[in-house]
Amino acid sequence: MSETPPTGPGRPRRRLGEDWAATLTGLVLLGLALVGAIPAGLIP
Amino acid sequence: MSGTTPAPGDGATGPQDTAPAAAAPETPTDGTGAEGAREPRAGGETATTTEDPAPAAPAAPAAPAAPAAEPAAESGDGGEGAPAARDSAYWAFAAAGLLVVLALASTTRFLEGWVPEIAAGTPLAGFAEAVEYPVYAILLGLLGNLLLSLTGLRDRLAAAFRTEFFIKTGLVLLGSTVLFDVIIRAAGPAILQALFLVTAVFLFTWWLGGRFGLDDRLRALLASSVSICGVSAAIAAAGAVQARREQLAYTASLVILFAVPSIFLLPWLVGVLGLNDAQAGAWIGGNIDTTAAVAAAGAIVGEDALQIASIVKSTQNVLMGVVAVLLTAYFAFKAAPAGEGAAARPGLATLWERFPKFVLGFLAASVIATVWANTAGEGAQDGLDTAKALRDWFLIAAFTSIGLEFKLSSLREAGWRPIGVFALATAFNLLVGLLLAFFLFRGFTF
Repeated sequence: MSETPPTGPGRPRRRLGEDWAATLTGLVLLGLALVGAIPAGLIP
Repeated sequence: MSGTTPAPGDGATGPQDTAPAAAAPETPTDGTGAEGAREPRAGGETATTTEDPAPAAPAAPAAPAAPAAEPAAESGDGGEGAPAARDSAYWAFAAAGLLVVLALASTTRFLEGWVPEIAAGTPLAGFAEAVEYPVYAILLGLLGNLLLSLTGLRDRLAAAFRTEFFIKTGLVLLGSTVLFDVIIRAAGPAILQALFLVTAVFLFTWWLGGRFGLDDRLRALLASSVSICGVSAAIAAAGAVQARREQLAYTASLVILFAVPSIFLLPWLVGVLGLNDAQAGAWIGGNIDTTAAVAAAGAIVGEDALQIASIVKSTQNVLMGVVAVLLTAYFAFKAAPAGEGAAARPGLATLWERFPKFVLGFLAASVIATVWANTAGEGAQDGLDTAKALRDWFLIAAFTSIGLEFKLSSLREAGWRPIGVFALATAFNLLVGLLLAFFLFRGFTF
């Protein structure tokens, strides 16, 4: 869950962690579903 | 923890990433840590940025990349096109892998409705009704794994088999189907169970590993993975204790090897033992090592069991950070040679680094959905139903990925002692977990 994986000697690059990516994806999808942006019945 | 510690939750594996697990087949070892070589470490410069359960999967992108890179390098034209070609090949295979996951998930959805339909009125009707979607998903994943392995495509497509991403997204969405008051009421016994179980199983496995003569670092990996949350915990522990890459690969293989049969075994035992849904969920959540397998087994038992299993597992996941800090401290102050531990002293940053952030998403989704259900009026249920359908698709994608990633090969190099330790620790975990779940969730109502 580190946000700074090593990408080369002395050059850490910040990347979005899988935890955060999954969290944001889940919450965004939930938000879209609740406000009706994903029509009811579209997802089988 | 230094800046070069592994990034278990990162998972942003790309063409340039180096997975520790990938070293396993190339670096034969008996898995006991008896070798003299100390490098490379899982927490070193080549540390992983993935949390995938399948040890070899993250290495796959290299397969299509190599042919594109070599001719350019040899031609002496600067090779500027090579990285682009490598990236293109990587993403093309990742997209193809995603299509495979989607196709298998769609087939799962189809079978889930079709099999009971055609079995109706036959002696198999009851059995067909009882088979839940995780069973189809995992079996289809294993079948896909076999076909893709035979055609040599599996490792190339493996970048899309993101079990951890799928399951975590599915669990965040699962939060929207769990009323917040259920989480609040389950939190007490879940925390108690997690504290007792993690402590007892970790110490037992650590002690047993010592009796079997295993290396301290491998003991730490095995104890963390059995007691907390499988591969994620093993990766966190590997960073904390600077374990070798093949030790991490081996532990990850063991976790998957034991988790897959548990998905089917525990729901069956739940029926045999007559546990209620809450006890079943707590037992499953406290015992099966990988979060995806916990969700699969919980879903087989039922919706209520799935909710409790997810709450209990999430509680254990939170303890991963605490254990990583304690292990770092132990190896920094006790096990590491003088002077080696100075840069690896743990702190709050480590605790946060190892904290499973998707648990926050799970809690937030539950709060949002609970508030929404109470305030949005008539249309509220449509949105929640859509979220539940999305949840199921992500869970199915995770379960098919379990099957697609399953790999026995890296276990061959490890020898029997770690397997014995893992098996005995799992049995201990089952028994202690059963007792705790039975008493702590005896009177729980939904």
